[in-house]
Amino acid sequence: MINLAGRDILNGWGKFLFTGIGLGLLIGVTLSMAGIYRGLVDDGRVLLSNGGADLWVVQRDTLGPYAEPSNVRDDAYRALLGVRGVAEAGNVTYLTMQIEDQGKDVRVMLVGFQPGHPGEPGYLVAGRPITRSHYEAIADIKTGFRLGQRIRIRRHEYTVVGLTRRMVSSGGDPMVFVPLRDAQEVQFLKDNDALVNERARTAANPAFNRPGVPGLLEAVQASQASSRTVNVVMLRLAPHADEALVASEIRRWKHLEAYTRADMDEILVAKLIATSAKQIFMFLVILAIVSAAIVAFIIYTMTLNKVREIAVLKLIGARNRTIAAMILQQALGLGAIGFLVGKTAATLWAPIFPKYVLLLPGDAVLGALLVLAICALASVVAIRAALRIDPATAIGG
Amino acid sequence: MPAAIEISGLTKRYGEGDAAVAALKGVDMIVQPGEVVGLIGPSGSGKSTLLKCLGAVIEPSAGRMALAGEAIYDNGWQVADLRALRRDRIGFVFQAPYLIPFLDVTDNVALLPMLAGVANADARERARVMLTALDVGHRAQAQVAQLSGGEQQRVAIARALVNQPPIILADEPTAPLDSERALAVVRILNEMAQRFATAIIVVTHDEKIIPTFRRIYHIRDGRTYEEAGEGRAA
Repeated sequence: MINLAGRDILNGWGKFLFTGIGLGLLIGVTLSMAGIYRGLVDDGRVLLSNGGADLWVVQRDTLGPYAEPSNVRDDAYRALLGVRGVAEAGNVTYLTMQIEDQGKDVRVMLVGFQPGHPGEPGYLVAGRPITRSHYEAIADIKTGFRLGQRIRIRRHEYTVVGLTRRMVSSGGDPMVFVPLRDAQEVQFLKDNDALVNERARTAANPAFNRPGVPGLLEAVQASQASSRTVNVVMLRLAPHADEALVASEIRRWKHLEAYTRADMDEILVAKLIATSAKQIFMFLVILAIVSAAIVAFIIYTMTLNKVREIAVLKLIGARNRTIAAMILQQALGLGAIGFLVGKTAATLWAPIFPKYVLLLPGDAVLGALLVLAICALASVVAIRAALRIDPATAIGG
Repeated sequence: MPAAIEISGLTKRYGEGDAAVAALKGVDMIVQPGEVVGLIGPSGSGKSTLLKCLGAVIEPSAGRMALAGEAIYDNGWQVADLRALRRDRIGFVFQAPYLIPFLDVTDNVALLPMLAGVANADARERARVMLTALDVGHRAQAQVAQLSGGEQQRVAIARALVNQPPIILADEPTAPLDSERALAVVRILNEMAQRFATAIIVVTHDEKIIPTFRRIYHIRDGRTYEEAGEGRAA
């Protein structure tokens, strides 16, 4: 038996192809939306795994450091190293800020870390690790910074000595890693005017400026000008240590909150990006409905353009299933072209997006099945219309 | 030899009760194998209704129809599969050729045997034979849009004949053609009727071809009246 759908497609391939391309671009947007969601989740997971930590210790009753502000004293790590099962500890600070680069503002997350401890970038794609205790930086390549470039962060200039990849905040901002002390200064120290004002205000306070207590005022002012806090202490555990047990020990005795990797995954994926995920899901649903409506409309129009041919086919004895199969195959053909165009388009434009777009093969397979299912569903309207065509239409009068 | 078509007391009513309209009021008709008869009548006389009943497209209300001696309707359909009946035992030629535009000439004709389950190669061979018989064998690979109006109508006749049905119903087959082409189509129909012993009923208004019929059925107010035609050579 001749494949009627195939012959019809070949006969009007130009129209069919352009329709498929139009549909494909819509499918490409849908696949990209799914890729953006996957990218958000993956960014979060890479952020967790690249830090090399097993436990994240933050301020009690907070979901820090990524979901909520958290302040922990920077000497807490000493006490944490004493907990059974803890092998290494590293203080880390996070601060989202704007850095000017050649007249353009670059939004970054500034990360303060202790080289050689948990919290440092997982790997470098160029350059070297930070070896000096001040004014060196490692930047994610998404910042656009180059090796050797000098960038100004608040009062000081830093030299980019290394480049890393896939180190972004949960908001998608690329990270710039600097030594912890520098980051603490950037995060907690005030500017010169504020310091002068603060000193004057403290000196005017008789509680701090007592004539009979020499050195008190200087001590208070020194404490105001230095920072002893970090956002999180990252812990690496000894082999075979039970992370849940260690976390519970820290919560009980150190009056801090400790999160395991699974907890952090839950916070990042289920809590922090949950609203974005819902937003994207709503877009996906709307795009799927729009795609279905467009396919249904196209197939319905194509079918109505063939009323006479279908009437003749029915009159000369073609079975309903032959006609239904013709319409269904055309809908599936349209879906297949649309999917191929959409997948290609999504793959080509994914790197242009400012945030990471992760197109998983599994999502592509699921997308293909969904597209074909939507096309099959959309063809039902046209099939019903075709089956209602009276073969007598072919006979005049 | 039984008549190719034998109709007696065929009636068709549309609607129910007081609103019922009788389109056919006891039509009688006999057409022998190899015979071409004309069916003429004014608009609304019941020509198309009779053609649709004969073509098993609509169900008559009462009466009897037989094809080659076998009753297909006797106050109810006597065959279970009307599609198969239309496909295998009735050929249709329409006002316009109504060929399938996305199939080439051969496949337009071969489609019928293919629908009947004949293998593609055999169906195409049958189509080629029929197209050659109708003198359009040289256009077998052409697309429908590349054919002239006359060639398209010949291909449509080849399609109607390819399964060698006992009857062909031709609904104003010469309407869009000029005199010369219209007479050529009638000549072909006569030749094919003779060659394949097929009975052909031609519904027409076309004054040019009416004199070519040996027998004519007039249909008026749902009733048929038979008269002898001139039977001029087409």
